Amino acid sequence: MRRTPPAEQGLPILPEGSRSTPVGALVEVQDLTWRPFGRADPVLEDFSLRIEPGQRVLLAGPSGSGKSTLLRAIAGVLTATESGDLAGSVRIDGCDQQGSGAVVGLMVQDPADASVAGQIGRDVAFGLENESVPRENIWPRVRRALATVAFPYGVDHPVSALSGGEAQRLALAGVLVLHPGLVLLDEPSSMLDPQAATAVRQAIWAAVAVSGATVVLVEHQLEHWLPEIDRVVALGADGAITADGTVDETLLAAPDTLAAHGVWVPGVRAPQPLKVPRQLCAPVGWGVPAGDMVMRAEGVGMLRTLPVGLGGSSPGGTSGGTVVTLSGADAVVRAGEIVALVGPSGAGKSTLAALLAGLERPSSGFVIAGQQLRSGLHENPADWSSAELARRVGWVPQQAELAVVARTVREDALSTCRRLQLDELTPRAEALLEVLGLAESAETDPHHLSGGQLRRLALAGAMAHGPALLVLDEPTVGQDRQTWAAVAGVITAARDAGAAVLVATHDRLLMDLADRCVRLDHGRVIEAAESAESAAAVPALAPTTLISPAVGPAARRGRFRPLTERCGPLALLGSAVLLLAGALPITRLSEALLGVGAELLLAPLVLGWRGHRLRRLLPGLLAVASVWFSTWLLSPHQDPIAGATAGLRIAFFVLPGVLLVRFIDPFTLGDHLAQRLLLPGRPVVAAVAALQRFESLAEQWRELRRIRRVRALEGARGPAARGRELVALTFALLVQTLRQAGRMAVAMEARGFSLPATRRVRRTWAQPAPWLLADTALVVLAAVVAAIPVALAVLR
Amino acid sequence: MVTHNTTQNLPARTAHRPRTILAAGRITAWRGVDLITAAMLAVAFGVVFWAFDTFVYPGVSAVTAGFPPAGELALGVWLIPAVVGGLVVRRPGAALFTELVAANIELFLGNQWGVAVLLSGALQGLGVEIVLAVFLWRRFGALTAVLGGIVSAVLEIVGYEWWSYVAGYSWTWRIVYLICGMISGGLIAGLGGWALVRALARAGALNAFPPGQEVRETHASR
Repeated sequence: MRRTPPAEQGLPILPEGSRSTPVGALVEVQDLTWRPFGRADPVLEDFSLRIEPGQRVLLAGPSGSGKSTLLRAIAGVLTATESGDLAGSVRIDGCDQQGSGAVVGLMVQDPADASVAGQIGRDVAFGLENESVPRENIWPRVRRALATVAFPYGVDHPVSALSGGEAQRLALAGVLVLHPGLVLLDEPSSMLDPQAATAVRQAIWAAVAVSGATVVLVEHQLEHWLPEIDRVVALGADGAITADGTVDETLLAAPDTLAAHGVWVPGVRAPQPLKVPRQLCAPVGWGVPAGDMVMRAEGVGMLRTLPVGLGGSSPGGTSGGTVVTLSGADAVVRAGEIVALVGPSGAGKSTLAALLAGLERPSSGFVIAGQQLRSGLHENPADWSSAELARRVGWVPQQAELAVVARTVREDALSTCRRLQLDELTPRAEALLEVLGLAESAETDPHHLSGGQLRRLALAGAMAHGPALLVLDEPTVGQDRQTWAAVAGVITAARDAGAAVLVATHDRLLMDLADRCVRLDHGRVIEAAESAESAAAVPALAPTTLISPAVGPAARRGRFRPLTERCGPLALLGSAVLLLAGALPITRLSEALLGVGAELLLAPLVLGWRGHRLRRLLPGLLAVASVWFSTWLLSPHQDPIAGATAGLRIAFFVLPGVLLVRFIDPFTLGDHLAQRLLLPGRPVVAAVAALQRFESLAEQWRELRRIRRVRALEGARGPAARGRELVALTFALLVQTLRQAGRMAVAMEARGFSLPATRRVRRTWAQPAPWLLADTALVVLAAVVAAIPVALAVLR
Repeated sequence: MVTHNTTQNLPARTAHRPRTILAAGRITAWRGVDLITAAMLAVAFGVVFWAFDTFVYPGVSAVTAGFPPAGELALGVWLIPAVVGGLVVRRPGAALFTELVAANIELFLGNQWGVAVLLSGALQGLGVEIVLAVFLWRRFGALTAVLGGIVSAVLEIVGYEWWSYVAGYSWTWRIVYLICGMISGGLIAGLGGWALVRALARAGALNAFPPGQEVRETHASR
């Protein structure tokens, strides 16, 4: 089925001196039993499996059969985030595999969980740093790994500017750079659109063809992977092996057995949507005649200015480019039809869906609700209140796990009915849970559900209260054959009952159910076909990036560069600290005035003239004014001099501090803290990796607010309601954060994050942390200015 | 043959004392997930503070700009990361680490106190750390949390704010300022942080940590 083992082809595989195995690793799992705490039965019990070197194995089975658990056990990261009873052994090439790290490469589902640095070179170098590879050996290996996955960008390209498919290839490079003899793939293409998935698959097979590594793959969509697979191991629902052999002997010999377990076996005919009673999905209180317009977008555009975020950038640079997520798009959704919004990732599907759901305001153009639907309200749905919107629109977000709004599955499905005082719909919500296979879990906490279950719960919660417009973002992701049929059944029943349904999707089978397709590419509608077939036939354009990358300081050579632009982070931070220390002894107005005066004189030299966003100083200026005023008010005898002194004293260290910190790049700061100040490596790396998530967590926060709005949960305007709202959002964000932290820990441990601690060695750093003349100059200047008040006090 | 059984780290069950599960392994042996979780919690709180600043605080700050002692009643909000970090990870340094990373977020976002926010973060983290140390990292109940919040506020105010922002106040007002901060630290950071950790554990979000395992063990014993 595929080429001869590369070891026999004599390909040059590894550089001299590499300590890893040049050919595939032998995997022996012996009597493995794993019971996580809190579960009555083990996920895996007395499980044994032997995988020969260089073999490419597919693990298939229904969700919950322990495939991912087995993969983590082989990777040696089973106990990285969970505790429980573990017995048996996993041996890689005869060596025990518990926390030994890097001979095994693990690629996880979501590339965002695997990224640890701001620039792609640093990200790939992570595993090498953990293995304490000397700096001069790191960069050649990083470049080679990037070439292996056909990466077109330089090592300093920002990770945040990558598409999903590129990010997954970057994660692959981060795994391959360690020359693993065993590559474990946990649904590596499940988050990607078909084109990106193809590119990732090609990169994977090309890379292992060179290295000859053993491959173990977990995947639900088997079709495109099978040509390269040597062996299929099928697990039953109880975690025991039900079939083991070549593709022909297993999948193709008994396709129906596996299909009956929900596995998407290629060649087995598509599942039929479940027959769902229409009244379960009918709009409640909306008699929009079929064919009437429910929601319309007219030439809508969406511009997103990338936030400045935490990434340090010089004030002159245009930090944060602009992304056009949508431009001049027209779309209409009518009652009694399913419209599929299709196109590659990043084409603007989710944005257009959110606009049509009234969750956001377009930057240009109009979103107009149909006459019947708005029934007297403003025509722009973004102006409706939370309850008004919820009554009319149901929404399933792409990140369905964010849509959890209650403590139990039943409460969650009922929450919007309750808020809208539609208690008579309770039986309908219960029936929907039944249809969607969630009735058994009705009393459990939604946070304990699987990804596929959460998505179905989000669907139940979005439609239980009978909105007339359903906007569903990727509603079928993560579903097996049976649950897919249930979701498709609910969607078609809603259409047949007169609801307007908009689905944004990559799912071919779901597109086939749609009445119309609207195809997006690069934020534009390229075709609004009247039938699904013709839209599916349009060849897709190659994806390109719309991001105009940030212009760094290097792009503006040849003009005066203020001192701060040439300084490292420690000098910037150090001088701000010196000024803080210098402020504390200030007791007289003259000292404060002279100090601030000296700073104003030096500012042009140190900070430069132009490009400061003075808005950043506003909070500081407010603080100065507040201290000034309150000190005057609360000082003995309300002394105006005391007020002025206190205010200027704050200004002396706060204002320059705010401006100096602008020049610090948090990622460089990490390098310097660890190398110059010898702070322990692991906490610094963890902090830097977490800081990089700030923007994505902020986006999750915005998404959580949208969900609360469309589910009628947004609080009233009073301060108490605002406070409750803040607590609920905080809790939801923390739950997501903790989950993400667990997934990050698995991905990072698989790349040897804790190796330096277990081996008791220092990790190396790919980037040096030099101390320059400019650094000394800045610190000396700051020390001189900070000494002014002290000197004046002494002279007196 | 590897046999890895974390239960052996759990203290023996006694009928009278509520059981507290301690961090697995040596108490100073931070796991990777401990570090990453503490840092990620801090960043999430950074997002919450940013939202608090934009959606809620403008109203509060407009009122308190003229009368800072009242503003000190909101101090507890900024101390929550230290309490939550300490109660979740249950290792020496967790509170300090979490609060310091959170302070870094504020620093990089641009804030009203400039680099002083790092000094504040260190003092606030140390406050919680001191209380946890007094209990030898064996007690993580509401009392510990409230005391942690209070000591954290005291350290922040007496160690720093008295000598910087309110240096010109009369002593009466400095004391009022301190008391406001202590109340806020005890209630918002202490009780609030403790309740938050408990809710997170019940939602199954802390399964990798002792508080989450306590919840599951209680369920198992029922």
